[in-house]
Amino acid sequence: MFSVKIWGDRGSMPVPGQDTVLFGGNTSCLEVRCDKRIIIIDAGSGIRPLGDSLVKNELKNGPIRADIFLTHTHWDHIMGFPMFTPIYIPGTVLTIHGPVSFEDEPLEKVIGTQLSYRYWPVRHDELSSSIKYKSLQETKLDLDDGITVITKYLNHPVLCLGYRIEYKGKALVTIYDHEPYRNVFPTDPSQPDYDPEIAREGEETAKEENAKILAFMNNADICIHDSQYTAKEYVSSKIGWGHSSYEYAINAAYKAKVKNLVLFHHDPQRTDTELQELELFYSTKINAKTTLHLEMAREGKLYYLEP
Amino acid sequence: MASDFYQNKIKNYIMQMPSLPTSVTKVIEVCNNPKTSPVDLDKVISLDPVLMGRVIKLINSAYYGVQNKITNLVRAIIMLGLNTVKNLALSTAVLDKLSDKSSFKALNMEGFWRHSLCTGVVAKLIAKERKIDNKQLDEYFAAGLLHDIGKIPLNNIVSDDFIKAMAIADSEKIPLYLAEKRTFDMDHTDVGGLIIEAWRLSGAIADTIRYHHSLELYEGEYKDIIMTVIVADNYANKNGIGFSGCLYPEKVPSEYWNALAIPKEWLHQIDDIVNSEIEKASIFLKIKE
Repeated sequence: MFSVKIWGDRGSMPVPGQDTVLFGGNTSCLEVRCDKRIIIIDAGSGIRPLGDSLVKNELKNGPIRADIFLTHTHWDHIMGFPMFTPIYIPGTVLTIHGPVSFEDEPLEKVIGTQLSYRYWPVRHDELSSSIKYKSLQETKLDLDDGITVITKYLNHPVLCLGYRIEYKGKALVTIYDHEPYRNVFPTDPSQPDYDPEIAREGEETAKEENAKILAFMNNADICIHDSQYTAKEYVSSKIGWGHSSYEYAINAAYKAKVKNLVLFHHDPQRTDTELQELELFYSTKINAKTTLHLEMAREGKLYYLEP
Repeated sequence: MASDFYQNKIKNYIMQMPSLPTSVTKVIEVCNNPKTSPVDLDKVISLDPVLMGRVIKLINSAYYGVQNKITNLVRAIIMLGLNTVKNLALSTAVLDKLSDKSSFKALNMEGFWRHSLCTGVVAKLIAKERKIDNKQLDEYFAAGLLHDIGKIPLNNIVSDDFIKAMAIADSEKIPLYLAEKRTFDMDHTDVGGLIIEAWRLSGAIADTIRYHHSLELYEGEYKDIIMTVIVADNYANKNGIGFSGCLYPEKVPSEYWNALAIPKEWLHQIDDIVNSEIEKASIFLKIKE
């Protein structure tokens, strides 16, 4: 069995309320199961209900053991960690993997700071569980039991990793938080600081890096992709914020021969009605042209890559 | 023993080595501006050996999977993102609180900056003249800019002894690195080695830092770049552009000139370009209004 369940799909900030009932208001958290192995991607606010579910359903079978992979350390991706109940249960064994920033601070400090008296009533040192931290770079990890995790740097204002989990011949890929690479240097010769050599290098770099992301997504059975904005919103005021548009995500998935695309990291202002309309709009638009299946991420939805 | 004493002091300093004082004002101005032009960011970093080294360190240690080491700043800025690079630059742009009080008596940092920049500019011009692949030109520049980086800790953290080494070199008319060896039991290329280790640098830049005074011992693949930097270093010293602390540099062996196939006279033709590049840079950094 190889499955992924969405416990949080919202970007930036949890948004509870009547407008986010269908698609959910919790921030990023995915529960991946490879038979008995539990892999969690991100510790946004969605990790709280996931923790409760693990305590309710798994604890009876023995202590909880899981690998947590953080895509990056922005707050919406780590904020749920102090409310992840298994960390307070003796016997729980967690390995937390993730990238660190340029400051070279260990992951333990970045995540663990949330568990200090200033922010939380329990200190990290007081936790009853056993937690190991492992800093990640671009690499390929053998997680044993036939599970492989491949990582790829994405384009976001802090070091951020995409994950490709391969198990039983199937592949689940996450591409969030991510904005397509672009040449940030001037390319118009009439601009005062235009330099032809820099412009050429910039164009080439952006092209090459975007091609690497497509290769990373290639043939994924499920790709969960950042799509915080519409193309119109992106171009009008969100360039450089580190997120993709629906249009970019769909095109990239199509080019990379992805089978199922899950549009993820919904903007906190996006209502259920808007998401339903957008889902219908984009599905209809690609319907006759490709076998790619797309849908908006919904909190609570469970996908099986392998029954 | 003496070497251990200096090494420990220097290693601690390297962990928090700040950018050069010549860059601080401009780095803060460029990086605190939310609408910074990427071109200015590229410029301000490429004019400071410490900043340049740290960005290269970051991209090559973060991007584990990158097959070819990245020494191109444009590429690094696009891959790491403007914010990451800006924050990294800001974190090094602090006044050097760790420096010895007597450091101002030793190398003048503006002179050192001019020497480093000149070596970088000339190394790149030589490479261009020799029709080296465009993609490699920045590596020649970076190797030249960073070649003497080992002198920064010597100057800033063990200044009194560095002054003694400079005095020995002057009175005995010997190259500075030999006097450093006598004083510290190591020279600035060894100190450069400690920086290479701390920053996990590798490739041409690392090898140039380590071997630009001992190419005869070098067996790696970047002989061409190191040789070019040796010639560029000599150009800066001979023409009195900036000051590296070395008044009596060794002669460049004739086989290096032959290997590079650059006539000595050609170097005179680039005087104006070199001067104008350095002037442009000092105006940009506001060293000169």
